Amino acid sequence: MEKKLLEIKDLYAGVAESGKEIIKGLNLTINAGEVHALMGPNGAGKSTLAYLLAGKADYAATSGNVTFAGQNLLSLKPDERANAGLFLSMQYPVAIPGVSTNNFLKHAVNAKRKYMNLPELDAAEFLKLLRASAQELGVTTEMLKRELNVGFSGGEKKRMEMLQMQLLQPKLAILDETDSGLDIDALRIVAEGVNKLHTSENSLLIITHHLDLLNLIKPDAVHIYYDGHIVQSGGKELAEKLEQSGYKSFVEA
Amino acid sequence: MAIDTANIELWGDNIPWLCGLREKGRAAFKQYGWPNAKTEAWKYSYFNKKEFEALHIDNTPHHCDCNGHCHCHEKTATPFAAYGIKFCNGKLATEDFDLPAGVSVKPLVEALFGGEAKKYLNKSFDMAKFPFAALNTALIENGLMLVIERGTKLDLPIFIYYHQHAQAANLYNIRNLIIAEKGAKATVVEYYEGSAEQPYLQNVVNEVFIADSARLNHYIWNKEAKVARHIALNSVQIRQNGYYEAFVAQSECALCRHETYIELLQKGAAAEVNGVYRLSENGKSDITTNVCHLDEHTNSHQLVKGVADGSAKAVFQGKIHIAPNAQQCEGYQQHKALLLSDEAEIDAKPELEIFADDVQCAHGNTCGDLDAEQLFYMQARGINMAEARQILIKAHTDDALGKISNKNVQNWLLEKF
Repeated sequence: MEKKLLEIKDLYAGVAESGKEIIKGLNLTINAGEVHALMGPNGAGKSTLAYLLAGKADYAATSGNVTFAGQNLLSLKPDERANAGLFLSMQYPVAIPGVSTNNFLKHAVNAKRKYMNLPELDAAEFLKLLRASAQELGVTTEMLKRELNVGFSGGEKKRMEMLQMQLLQPKLAILDETDSGLDIDALRIVAEGVNKLHTSENSLLIITHHLDLLNLIKPDAVHIYYDGHIVQSGGKELAEKLEQSGYKSFVEA
Repeated sequence: MAIDTANIELWGDNIPWLCGLREKGRAAFKQYGWPNAKTEAWKYSYFNKKEFEALHIDNTPHHCDCNGHCHCHEKTATPFAAYGIKFCNGKLATEDFDLPAGVSVKPLVEALFGGEAKKYLNKSFDMAKFPFAALNTALIENGLMLVIERGTKLDLPIFIYYHQHAQAANLYNIRNLIIAEKGAKATVVEYYEGSAEQPYLQNVVNEVFIADSARLNHYIWNKEAKVARHIALNSVQIRQNGYYEAFVAQSECALCRHETYIELLQKGAAAEVNGVYRLSENGKSDITTNVCHLDEHTNSHQLVKGVADGSAKAVFQGKIHIAPNAQQCEGYQQHKALLLSDEAEIDAKPELEIFADDVQCAHGNTCGDLDAEQLFYMQARGINMAEARQILIKAHTDDALGKISNKNVQNWLLEKF
């Protein structure tokens, strides 16, 4: 039987401060082990959805439910969501001057271990774990010593996001335009990261504009997202149709 | 017993020049008047005169009433390889200095008796401008004279540990003379640690003289008891191509005022004055600097970073003065603070006083909360809010500690501050 991992029901949400509505009646279910792609024009509210699910305080739901791994997701703090297995790879990863990448990753890994009642890793144990993952993703020791995302190129930032995903092994990873602005090698690294995480237990929600990444990761479902809700769902052929005729054909239909 | 500096019997009152100097100090202290809200240099940091008058001066010889249990009886343990010197409740507790050739350390009274201190005492500042240094001069007795002799390059830092543990509201008056002779290189660390629960006052004056091509690294950690006050003047004169690297770390106490007055006297003299403060309850930190460029081609750099939370109050007053003849100088100053609560307060007063026309000078001051985007990013990776804040706060203060060139001292403070 299929196991529901994320279930969004009749969700309405928007900007917390102004109350401006951005998500309007969204329904989406992702089962364990599935890869979903969400495609939509600029301004459709894709990043708002990603941030809302991750718990950014700037956004708030006005009605509807979001269940994640059996829990009411919207009642959890951002760190609790992350530790429950939700991972958001941000379109613009934040730079944190003064905090080495190494040190940051150690805090993140140990936060999750603490949540799972596992003993925290010491410096040597963590380094061993880190080295193995970093090497696979082409993250150099030099990069790990640098301050997190400070002066990183676009490709390096995305690679770092994939490394974090790899280390944290989320149940559901949301990739918010992780493929934007990447060259072909970096794109391949993202695809490899995704494919490595993807098991019968782990799911992904890929927010993207491009067919390139979807060709490399083969989604189970593609959703066309417009004005805060899904207008059509289907297989990869939807993405191909989109590439040929644009969003217009979906909106007018 | 109310404090009365005139009737205190001090060592060497029978030495005319010393007696005269103390008298001048008393007069200058009186002349200045008790600093209050209208005293420009002290308006953010003055305190109640009654609390000062309630202090007690312990002019007895060093005596510890702990029956040999407190660590002033142990050989000075240093947090890293260093030459240790110890003060216990304002008095020198070290008897055997155990220093290498080329370094001479004497209790100040010995240097007063022998007269070698006379050449340096009160030669680096004007008592009329520094009331607590004037008071310090009126009560001059405890302290050290430390000379790094010509050309000596010291292999390890000199670590001076001041431990305040007496349960009494004492006034501890420390006067040190630190002299780096021509071409000498040394690192001096001062660590003030208080464990008393009485509102003592530590009143320190360091007079530092850096000769031609000498270099002194001077690192100070003020970690007094929470209820205590600490007022210090570091008065520094630097001659041709001399270099002074100073760092002060300020932990929380009732008032911790660290003032640095520097005269860059000759060409090529340079100074770094960096620091950090971290307040989370209701304490007060004041870092005041005045760097005077008195000759051409002199340089100074200042970076102070701080954190004020709770109902704490922090003050940064930084002045760069460039004399008319001091062309081709560089003077930079930056103060960056995190203001983490509505009740906390930060007062920053940068001043540039430039009389030469061919110089490079800049100052910057920022004050703000932690970055919400950074906090969210860390939370989105499973790190809880409290921990994320601590990581960012530490990153902020560690940035200043990164300026310390001696790695042992830097690592000590990175870990312990």
